[in-house]
Amino acid sequence: MSLPLVVLLPFLGAIAAPLFAQGGRTAIAVASSVPPLIALAALYPQWPVLANGGVVLFSQPWMPDMGLTLSFRLDGLSLLFALLILVIGLLIILYSRYYLKAQENVAKFYSLLLCFMGAMLGIVLSSNLLLMLIFWELTSLVSFLLIGFWTHKQEARRGARLALAVTGGGGLALLAGILMIGNIVGSFELDDVLAARDQIQAHALYPYALTLVLLGAFTKSAQFPFHFWLPHAMQAPTPVSAYLHSATMVKAGVFLLARLYPALAGTEQWFYMVSFTGMATLLLGAYTAMLKHDLKGLLAYSTVSHLGLITLLFGMGTQLAAVAAVFHVINHATFKASLFMAAGIIDHETGTRDMRRINGLWRYMPHTATLAMVAASSMAGVPLLNGFLSKEMFFAESLDLNLPGLWAWLPPVIATLAGIFSVAYSARFVHDVFFNGKPVDLPVFPPHEPPRYMKIPVEILVFACVMVGVFPALSVGPLLYAAASATLGGQVPEYHLTVAHGFNLPLMMSFLAFFGGLLMYSQRHRFFRFHARFREIDEKAVFEAVVARFTAAAHRVTGLLENGSLQRYLALLVISVIAITAAPLLGLGVFIGESGLSPVDAPTAIAAAVLALSAVLTALMHRQRFYALTLLSVVGLLVALAFARFSAPDLAMTQLSVEVVTIVLLMLALYYLPSWTPLETSARRRVRDLVVAVLAGGGMTLLTLAMLTRPFSSISSFFLENSKPEGGGTNVVNVILVDFRGFDTLGEITVLAIAALGIYAMLKNTALTPTTGDGQGHAWSRDPHPLMLRQIARPMLPLALMVSAYIFLRGHNLPGGGFIAGLVTSVALLLQYVASGMAWTEDRIPFRYQNMIGLGLLFAIIAGAGSLSFGYPFLTSTFGHIEWPVVGDFELASAMVFDLGVYLTVVGATLLALVSIGRLSPHSAIKPTQETV
Amino acid sequence: MNDWLLAPILIPLIGGVIQVFMGYAPISLRRTLALITTSLLLVSALVLLSLAMDDQYRVYAFGNWQPPFGIVLVLDRLAALMVLLTAVLALFCHLFSVGGWDEGNRQFHALFLFQLMGLNIAFLTGDLFNLFVAFEVLLIASYGLLMHGEGTSRTTPGLHYVVLNLTGSALFLISVGLIYSATGTLNMADLARTVPDLTGADLRLVEAGGLMLLVVFGLKAAILPLNFWLPRAYARATAPVAALFAVMTKVGVYAILRVYLLIFGQGAGGLASLGMDWLFPVALATLAIGVIGALGAQNLKTLVAWQVVISVGTLLAPIALGSRAGISAALFYLLSTTWTVAGLFLLAELVANQRGSAGDRIVTAPAMAHRTLLSVLFMLGAVSAAGLPPLSGFFSKVLILQSVTSGPDLAWLWAVVITGSFFTVIAYSRAGSIVFWRTVDGHIESPPGLSNTTRVATGALIATSLVIVALAGPIHQYTDATADQLLDQNGYVNILTVETVGEDH
Amino acid sequence: MELVYALVIGTLVGSGVYLLLRARTFPVVVGLTLISYGVNLFLFATGRLVTGGQPIIGSTDHYADPLPQALVLTAIVIGFAMTAFVVVLSLRSLADHDDDHVNPSRQQVAPANDHEEPRA
Repeated sequence: MSLPLVVLLPFLGAIAAPLFAQGGRTAIAVASSVPPLIALAALYPQWPVLANGGVVLFSQPWMPDMGLTLSFRLDGLSLLFALLILVIGLLIILYSRYYLKAQENVAKFYSLLLCFMGAMLGIVLSSNLLLMLIFWELTSLVSFLLIGFWTHKQEARRGARLALAVTGGGGLALLAGILMIGNIVGSFELDDVLAARDQIQAHALYPYALTLVLLGAFTKSAQFPFHFWLPHAMQAPTPVSAYLHSATMVKAGVFLLARLYPALAGTEQWFYMVSFTGMATLLLGAYTAMLKHDLKGLLAYSTVSHLGLITLLFGMGTQLAAVAAVFHVINHATFKASLFMAAGIIDHETGTRDMRRINGLWRYMPHTATLAMVAASSMAGVPLLNGFLSKEMFFAESLDLNLPGLWAWLPPVIATLAGIFSVAYSARFVHDVFFNGKPVDLPVFPPHEPPRYMKIPVEILVFACVMVGVFPALSVGPLLYAAASATLGGQVPEYHLTVAHGFNLPLMMSFLAFFGGLLMYSQRHRFFRFHARFREIDEKAVFEAVVARFTAAAHRVTGLLENGSLQRYLALLVISVIAITAAPLLGLGVFIGESGLSPVDAPTAIAAAVLALSAVLTALMHRQRFYALTLLSVVGLLVALAFARFSAPDLAMTQLSVEVVTIVLLMLALYYLPSWTPLETSARRRVRDLVVAVLAGGGMTLLTLAMLTRPFSSISSFFLENSKPEGGGTNVVNVILVDFRGFDTLGEITVLAIAALGIYAMLKNTALTPTTGDGQGHAWSRDPHPLMLRQIARPMLPLALMVSAYIFLRGHNLPGGGFIAGLVTSVALLLQYVASGMAWTEDRIPFRYQNMIGLGLLFAIIAGAGSLSFGYPFLTSTFGHIEWPVVGDFELASAMVFDLGVYLTVVGATLLALVSIGRLSPHSAIKPTQETV
Repeated sequence: MNDWLLAPILIPLIGGVIQVFMGYAPISLRRTLALITTSLLLVSALVLLSLAMDDQYRVYAFGNWQPPFGIVLVLDRLAALMVLLTAVLALFCHLFSVGGWDEGNRQFHALFLFQLMGLNIAFLTGDLFNLFVAFEVLLIASYGLLMHGEGTSRTTPGLHYVVLNLTGSALFLISVGLIYSATGTLNMADLARTVPDLTGADLRLVEAGGLMLLVVFGLKAAILPLNFWLPRAYARATAPVAALFAVMTKVGVYAILRVYLLIFGQGAGGLASLGMDWLFPVALATLAIGVIGALGAQNLKTLVAWQVVISVGTLLAPIALGSRAGISAALFYLLSTTWTVAGLFLLAELVANQRGSAGDRIVTAPAMAHRTLLSVLFMLGAVSAAGLPPLSGFFSKVLILQSVTSGPDLAWLWAVVITGSFFTVIAYSRAGSIVFWRTVDGHIESPPGLSNTTRVATGALIATSLVIVALAGPIHQYTDATADQLLDQNGYVNILTVETVGEDH
Repeated sequence: MELVYALVIGTLVGSGVYLLLRARTFPVVVGLTLISYGVNLFLFATGRLVTGGQPIIGSTDHYADPLPQALVLTAIVIGFAMTAFVVVLSLRSLADHDDDHVNPSRQQVAPANDHEEPRA
């Protein structure tokens, strides 16, 4: 089926166009004209169906749950627009060939142009509102690139961003509106929506939906108060302006009005919002157009005004008005496109667009002048030209509009007034440019006729203007009928496409407008002077300023919140926790649960007191870092005792060994860090922190209390029962670690390994000069490796290794295990470093700690994977008994291989980490291991 | 036997161990091995996805211990989706990194792979404490990766990131403790079974634990007010690392989905949909602050970093509302945003390299080389990130908007999301037009070329947006089914009845 | 007993949090260590306080809950790794900025002007 093809072709062309870049402008132009031609050919056979109100549909599911289908619909209305897009597009392609300079990025230009064409075709052919929206926003994006085509021009960049902001933003509003309509109707398919008129208009969301949809349409069609982006879009190359502002971009908005007319129109709200917006735009545009000295500026505002006219016609809500609107879409497209192209030619040939300088061109380019004058007359609504016909219809409708009381005068008066203005600015376009004396220092002089083929598009369009003007019924009759019937959902009113309807009020208005306009043109200087009193505002600049202000404000806000202060981030974290847990905590009510408190024995109480006291002191004395560290070690020691006290020997041992290494670590750190913390935080801040700390501590106390005083049952009985028979060990904690929850342990040693590797990586190529003393005036000892220490340390090593071996082996049944053993070994080895120095020790350690870590992990993996081969899951352990010297009958569990992995990783990691720190000091007698990768 | 569940964990682990041994081998060899590992990971992820398609829960019981006693891996649609998301992301980040970003640290690839291991454990584990371990693995690896690279600019953000997350880990332990102290179990399915029957003080303790956990996950996911550490950390991380970190915040989101839909889901009695009433406004606020940050950003990487915050807010808002449509939409968006943002991070790096001293700052600079390619990629990425048609971001946004159909929630969500994307468009168009269009005379001194690996990696990640659009239908069917699975707690609870291998061993 | 134990944990966490909010790296590290002590004690206590019930089969008649002990052991190890890392990170920060403040580049703190040229 050809419909999707029609939409797809231009996009394919867009991809293909750059391939012809070497062929030069002509090659690309020819290549680019192929897709539209094929598309036209594909549309041609559909005509018979459409001529008498038929519809061609194509549907293909895409994302049903979202209501999005690839469904296209070809009826009179979409055909009309499709033809405008394709035909004028073709003319633009031809025109651009001569407009663009050879050194410009022609390939980019043509592919963007084709993209845009495809997107527009998508809008008018979509039969699914979401699909339509996708193409809608696509036009915004592509137009952004087209308007900004000359990226080196600041004006162009700003114009582009302004257009994107307005039309893209409108698109978002439209999205919301369409989604609401979808909510109401339960489908985005056009047929369903158009059929659901009453349902939609009765719904509570209708006002919002309508407003949002109109926002989309008005922004796109440059309706007041969103009209300002359009004139600035004139920064685009003229072919782009001619395309976007005659046949396509801005017409998308009015197309949407026409498309949804059957579903949304006919209510008070529609009438007032649409018609009054239209009126305002019509008048404003026409007036401003007359005051513009820039040729394209004049055309831009006249476009705004004509779009207002079309909008107003749709707003009127009568069927004839709708017909007139559709008709004017055609006419405006033809004469406005030709005028833009003419303006482009003039710009091209004279090097300026300022009407105060380009005068009397008739002498230099009569051919172009003739064309432009005909088109301009059509814009002015001169009889025998197409502009006249639709304007007559418009005048007629403005009279039939029965507003209450005096308001009834408003539409016709405004219509006539706008007519006067449009005649005035058309007259100006003709007279100022082609007559009115001699040119004033043109950049290019003398101007002459453009290349033959550059004029052909203009000729074709002007010819169309005349044909439609003289033989309306013959030329556009059928097409207009099809389009109108599609717009009105079938029932087309009686209307006559004839050159003259006899002598009637509308004709009077036309005459009034004509002569009034000429008069106004003759008096134009008064208007210029009057207008000069007001300061010209450049919306681009305003937009830039606004965005700049927004950006600056946003940056300030961000700076205030994200101020890079760790204390603040931490405070926020802790406070959030306190805040969010407050409710359940208070919900507890009573904090001492049913099982109550058990008695305290003196030793425990004292130990606890000391523990708490030294913790508090650590905090209070933290500025004298050595005291703090000493106190910290006391705390750690007592924590170990607490574990022992409450029947956790393994934890006690672990805590103890970790404590030793941690303190060594912190000692090493203090060797480099200043040993004294300056007092820099304000008293207020300290109070705040104190409050936070007390709240946190208090909360923890209450939670712990509530928890400890409640009865409790857990899954642990399983571990106690199965540890020996299933896990082959009596030390349940160890069996859990290496068997029941061995996977945790695997992760745990991986963490250790990664930490060590990270530390190593972080410290290489880093050097620190150590402090000279402990900050309390005691200097460090000069002797790096005291003899005494050396004497003790060396024999210690084998002893320590034996101890750790013992701890390791008994681990499965008694407190101990790979981790503790590993730490003991590490401490012993560390002692060697301290006692005998880096060089001495490293010479005697035949391997890299990295490899030791790797080996450890490998052992753990192998131990785990072994069971896989027997069809059991990872980490399934097995065990058997063997006779073992010294230890006697001994139970060997496969889990112990795993534990060996733990041991190796711990040793490797601990040493790698600590040795890396030792290396920091420049005179740590070690050649810095330079990384060269 | 579901040994495949093990693959996404063992593959990076073994690959990482090999890297540890290979530390001093020639870098080309290390790179090859590393890339082979990530590719294998992707394969295994695809296998898992194909397995998960049948809506069955697959359980892998470590040590052959019957849950809840042993640790189990559980594969469902969500887990498979997350693993795949990560695998794809990882492969391209890794590919990018071998363009020279992996130099200067012999352990980079090891850290990278261990990071992936941690992520996959987090996605697959069915045990709350094991989730903690997984978090630690991926965090410690991320610390190492964050510090990777030349210069001192990332030390301070790194320090902040580490300290904050250490505090977070402490909180995680407290929460686990509270929950265990009242339920006596750690297995998620078992918890889902136990929690509904809680009463009195037990209920309060678990509630406290659950809410504390929400803060922990919120810190990972970087929700307001716990996200101010993120922009600097991400903006200054080495490009492939920053790109990989696009998934780090999603781990928090995953954890929220898993824990608060399973353990504190609709069926959780007194604790049903715990904390979600907090989450919704917070999510919207996060989105808003993200947009403000993006608008105020002064360089591309910061802009993208704030985009991460935006996505988190956009993700969590519908999740907090907890409807099937909302969850499904969020998951759809998850795919889209993670890959796109990652692609943008890589792109920002490439742009920075082309602009000499201007780097990625949003200021005028001499015209850059490769401008067409880079600007087209930026356009695509920005369009998808801002949620404009026709890319995946738009589809996700429409789905999210459609997921609420009435009430004040609709007003809030629509208003914030739509206004948000409007300003995002402004931010991106400003950044883009300044960086790519506005140029001054002069030229960059010998800009580095664009290696093919970096082109492919960046292009591919950004192109995923198009792939998602093309496959929108099937993907959304998948996420719908995932949402159904997540909302049906019983299905997950039934894993407790899984058979262990053999009678005795 | 429970009250004493709870108070100890509270003190540890409280002092830790206070130190956590200091402006220099060393106190922060010490604070983290204190907090982890408190947290480990807390996690350990989730199995309730049992006297003389070390979970070694055959050593006693009433066993303490072994699971929390295993969890705490894992937590201690991980905590150790993390402490080591953060200590080293603070040293690195000292080396890079010649300052042990947690936000060494204080002049740049606000507003966040994010781009620092690597000092390589």
